[in-house]
Amino acid sequence: MSVLAQIGVVLGICLFGEAVSAVLPLPVPAGVTSMIILFVLLCLRVLNAKKIEGVSSFLLNNMAVFFVPSCVGILRYADVFFENALPIILICALSTPVVFFTAGTAVKLTMRLMNRKGGSGDV
Amino acid sequence: MSNAVTQSQMFGIVLTIAAYFVGLFLQKKTGWKLCNPLLIAVAIVVCVLLVFRIPLEDYEMGGDIIAMLIVPATAVLAIGVHSNLKILRRYAVPVLVGCVVGGVTSVFCVLGCCKLLALDTMLTASLFPKSVTTAIAIDLAETNGGVGSLAALGVFITGVVGAMLAPTFSKWFRIEDPVAQGIAIGACSHALGTTRALELGELQGAMSGLALSVCGVITVILSFFVI
Repeated sequence: MSVLAQIGVVLGICLFGEAVSAVLPLPVPAGVTSMIILFVLLCLRVLNAKKIEGVSSFLLNNMAVFFVPSCVGILRYADVFFENALPIILICALSTPVVFFTAGTAVKLTMRLMNRKGGSGDV
Repeated sequence: MSNAVTQSQMFGIVLTIAAYFVGLFLQKKTGWKLCNPLLIAVAIVVCVLLVFRIPLEDYEMGGDIIAMLIVPATAVLAIGVHSNLKILRRYAVPVLVGCVVGGVTSVFCVLGCCKLLALDTMLTASLFPKSVTTAIAIDLAETNGGVGSLAALGVFITGVVGAMLAPTFSKWFRIEDPVAQGIAIGACSHALGTTRALELGELQGAMSGLALSVCGVITVILSFFVI
């Protein structure tokens, strides 16, 4: 697919995702609904991942850049931040490793448990 | 004259890309973990705006175009999940357990900390969704009596901590399996962390993307019960 066609397909999926997000009663962001839609399309083989490889690898390889403007936008809330700086930083810095630890360990332990139970049984 | 430059959509786009490349360069040069390209890029843009007194609105004319790409970039994470379907099928139970445990600890950890520090309901409601993507977090905070901007701040700080220190946390807590790493990163630091997970490996990135979606949904559901 040409680059233009790839952009059209990917953005088309996102537009559909945004429509679904707007209709859903829960606050699910468009990125998540679009991700699910693309996943379904890939599973149903309506779309081949190879066809949109150019655009998708561009998006994945540069993902961090796309977040720069929204992070800069936080500047708008500078005064709110300085009023509550200490508790906010403390809570965020403290809970992040805790969640990393519990989530990672939960995956690790469940894997180990399943391996022990199922022996070498894959699939 | 300067207005004509800063009020062009190109201004925000070029400044963002240039700042990011400076960040990449500094990280390569120093090899220092705190030199996260995203963090440096944000710092540079903020400094440029403040020093030259450029209104945030001017920057955002171009910045919004770049930020618009967050949605498609999140969407294409599905490709990684799909190409690792076999692994996902094999580890479906651990992945789900990890996401649930991560989502639940995140919410309760914040609630516990807020109780300990005796913070008011406004701050608590703003901070409890800090481990999910901004879009979900702002909505959740506001429907529960919090402030959207504070929620966005919490999400940002959490994401930066996760993006900077994900490899360090993996070492500390001995999380070596790529699936476990990806889930842990996505659960604790959403899309910002996912950008780092993608650097660790395709599988980590895919799992992180998956975890950020599942944990987001779990946090939404939890909010009905806890707050």
